[in-house]
Amino acid sequence: MALPLSYSVRSLFARRLRTGLTVGVISLVVVATTLFLGLLSSLQRTLRTTGSERNLIVMRKGSSNDGSSQLQLAAFQDIRFFEGVARDAAGNPMVSPELVVQPFFRRKDGGRENVLVRGVEPAPALAVHDEVRIVEGRMFEPSSGEVVVGRGVAGRYEGAQLGQTLEFGRGRWQVVGVFESGGDSFESEVWADVRELANDAKRPFPYSSLRLAVAKGADRDALVRRIDDDPRHALEAQPEPAYYAKQAESANTLYVLVVGLAVLAGIGAVFGATNTLYAAVQARTAEIGTLRAIGFSRASILVSFLVESLLTALVGFAVGGSLAWLLGLLVSWALGGVGFGAATFTTSVIQIRVGAGDLGAALVLSLAVGLLGGFFPARRAARLRPVEALREA
Amino acid sequence: MIDLRSVSRIYRRGADEVHALERVSLHIPAARFVALMGPSGSGKSTLLNILAGLDRPSDGEVVVAGQRLNDLDEDELAAFRARHVGFVFQFFNLIPVLSALENVELPLLLTHLGKAERRERAATALRIVGLAERAGHSPGQLSGGEQQRVAIARALVSDPEIIVADEPTGDLDAKNAEDTLALLRTLKQEFGKTVVMVTHDPRAEKYVDLVHHLDKGVLFETREGGAAAAGGQP
Amino acid sequence: MIRFLPLIWRNLGRNKVRSSLTGAAIALAIALVCVLRTMPAGLDNFLSTLAKNTRISVHNEAGIVYPLPYSYLQKVRSVPGVVEATTWTWFGGAFEEEKGVTFPNFAVDAETIGAVYEDLGIAPEQLETFRRQRDATLVGRLTLQKYGWKIGDRITLKSTVFPVDLELQIVGEIPAAVDPRAWLQREYLSQALEAQGVSFDLVNMIWARVDDADRVNEVMRTIDELFRNSEAETASETEKSFFGNLFGNLQGFVTVILMVTGMVTLCIVFIAANTASMSIRERVGEIAVMKALGFRWRALFGMLVLEAALLATLAGAAGTVITLGLAQALKSVAGFSPQLGPLASFVVTNAMLVEGLFLACFIGIVSGLVPAFGASRRSVAATLREIF
Repeated sequence: MALPLSYSVRSLFARRLRTGLTVGVISLVVVATTLFLGLLSSLQRTLRTTGSERNLIVMRKGSSNDGSSQLQLAAFQDIRFFEGVARDAAGNPMVSPELVVQPFFRRKDGGRENVLVRGVEPAPALAVHDEVRIVEGRMFEPSSGEVVVGRGVAGRYEGAQLGQTLEFGRGRWQVVGVFESGGDSFESEVWADVRELANDAKRPFPYSSLRLAVAKGADRDALVRRIDDDPRHALEAQPEPAYYAKQAESANTLYVLVVGLAVLAGIGAVFGATNTLYAAVQARTAEIGTLRAIGFSRASILVSFLVESLLTALVGFAVGGSLAWLLGLLVSWALGGVGFGAATFTTSVIQIRVGAGDLGAALVLSLAVGLLGGFFPARRAARLRPVEALREA
Repeated sequence: MIDLRSVSRIYRRGADEVHALERVSLHIPAARFVALMGPSGSGKSTLLNILAGLDRPSDGEVVVAGQRLNDLDEDELAAFRARHVGFVFQFFNLIPVLSALENVELPLLLTHLGKAERRERAATALRIVGLAERAGHSPGQLSGGEQQRVAIARALVSDPEIIVADEPTGDLDAKNAEDTLALLRTLKQEFGKTVVMVTHDPRAEKYVDLVHHLDKGVLFETREGGAAAAGGQP
Repeated sequence: MIRFLPLIWRNLGRNKVRSSLTGAAIALAIALVCVLRTMPAGLDNFLSTLAKNTRISVHNEAGIVYPLPYSYLQKVRSVPGVVEATTWTWFGGAFEEEKGVTFPNFAVDAETIGAVYEDLGIAPEQLETFRRQRDATLVGRLTLQKYGWKIGDRITLKSTVFPVDLELQIVGEIPAAVDPRAWLQREYLSQALEAQGVSFDLVNMIWARVDDADRVNEVMRTIDELFRNSEAETASETEKSFFGNLFGNLQGFVTVILMVTGMVTLCIVFIAANTASMSIRERVGEIAVMKALGFRWRALFGMLVLEAALLATLAGAAGTVITLGLAQALKSVAGFSPQLGPLASFVVTNAMLVEGLFLACFIGIVSGLVPAFGASRRSVAATLREIF
């Protein structure tokens, strides 16, 4: 009982300019929304995927991030032997003592940024942070003035490429390796020898935090409680993912902003689409009257015009989505990633990647525009009285 | 076939009340070719619309093809029209984005026929009106006379009992007008359709069985048409 | 042309639904463009207000997270050309623990801060109270507004950097600051830390005011020379440069914002052009009749373009109203956020609104040009033949 799809499609093609302009509006809204969402979800993804379920981060009580925490040697020495801490093949506790500092780095384009430099001991660090892999060069040797840099750092700052010399803090450091860790926030870091870094930064306490691996099958909660309740050191422990999730929350305000803007843009697009379809209904009044005379029901007319609106929206989505994806790549390539100051004072390097989730949201937006925009005109078309509609011929 | 009993139609135009039809009673037997004629504003188009199930009377009873139309709602009327009524309009009213064949096929979409059968029937209808080789053309590529013939094929294709035509020759030159009228005659003669036509065209009288004259919403005269007198052929 | 205005207006009212929908869409889009523009403008504004003063920042060359010895303050104060110098130490206090640090707060040298920051317009009595009262705090106007605090209120800030919570009383506001900073007394912090057995003789930064704008570079050089080859080498820069760098990593974000702004503008063009082409197309016959009556094509062209421009301009005006409301709403949600800094201040200036209006008008004109030209140039005879 329905009008064929080809009728809707061809009616759209018959008015190329009008359809084209409406598609243009919808696709632009889709591009804008998708780009912003891509930026944000890349940021979220980077922050959220950081950290391993297996690991705990131990900081001073009340610290919100490991850069502002301090931890004493005694604390490290005690915790190493707590029950529940995993051990490696040689029987050593998998605990990585770390010092986090945020010195100035000079960007390739001249600007200046705070970058997170993590002082570590090579073996425990790689053991505990099992998602980090050296992909170029090698790990640094302790006490040799060497560092390794994350993938996001390598392209962004002066002297950060493999084999070059980085200047930060009070010294010069040789870049001997590049590491990757699945695109998470570790890739925006530089790793150096913890003792050398402490010396350079003149820190009273050697460490800022600990990362440790919980043994398989051990009672993680018991270990956390033990660390939290220890009267000698005011420390608290939490699983790594929980820690990074909290950092990710800082982007929530942005989400609200972007969603708000997207809704506004969407409403504008709805108005545009409604206008176009009203004009189409008006132009085809006699046609609608004829169809009704032949015996097509009101519902079939309604559906047919709604389909036209949805088709326009879908084409807009297809064009806008592809454009957004391309632009995301272009911007990332041209800018070398977008810098983002997360809740700490350091810079996360985000690659704008338009992912399936972002496109999904854009699709929902497009369909909503198509449905809402088409609703009233389609209803008007369906409600036309055949006799009056035919009189317009 | 068509029975109107004391049908009135009143509608509002702005603040005025227009009495388009005043208690018109009319009986049209099956397989007749009937013309409704009269000056502008006589109510002939309104009458046509009511017996075709396109409009409702304000008063009176309408029974068509054994069905009492007064009782039907909007959607039921649509279904009725799909089964029982074929339409021919003054300005052809073909869908510009569909080909001739697809235009003819349109009423069949309201049936349960499969695509292949629909196409076949549409092709047959086009053959009947002599336009088989124009099946793939769009209305824009057809002349006025050809478009009207496609419209007639469309009116015919779902095999309705009644064909309703509103000024079918109004937009055609003399030759095409005569051809169209002859074609409509054939529908009654060979296919047994009941054809009701509203027209200004004086040529029409030769082809029809009966002429009903209306004026100011009232049916005041019924004459025999030329065809009845000539026993079927003008 | 003016005498045609009633006719043009009547034409807009011909299809009220279409005109309203178009107007609403353009109004929304203009509002979006204006709001988006406030973001990079907020950053530029912030930096340009800083360019006017002669304040310089002295920080550790390695980074502001690296500290300087407190003893440096005296040395900087005695450099010729320096009117006064004070210290800043990042306290990182959180007002609501779960939300973390929502406005920058620093432990400062209460004695000297007033002289270095004369231009901020802090009431002298408030400064005096701040100096005398140990647990006093001066809070930026934006923060006071955001939380609805009044002078006299007591608040507690939990430091995320030091192992202390400090209870403070608001004794004054910092009116002219573009960022919502808060200051508390260094002495107060020092005492609290000593109570915990932690010594405190470091600062994050020293801010100094130079007497003469022309001497700024010279003074900066002198200061850096002073501390070369010592424990903590310094890097001095002007206040504008300092904040420029601090928010430098927002550049990428700004690029994306500008791109999106451009796209929304293009949207407006499409919407306006669509409407113009639709409404003109429907009136082709009428226009032909008017030409037959004797109207010159130039007049018709002008009328049609003016029609599009009028609609767009009215929509733009509505858009500016929406902008004000929108910016207000956004300000209360975001304000000066730690990630976006001055980008999210959403301050709308009159200049921006006027520009938005002109943009709308311009787009209206542009969008009407092509369809109006086509319609007004069409051959009368051909058109009339088609229609009748």
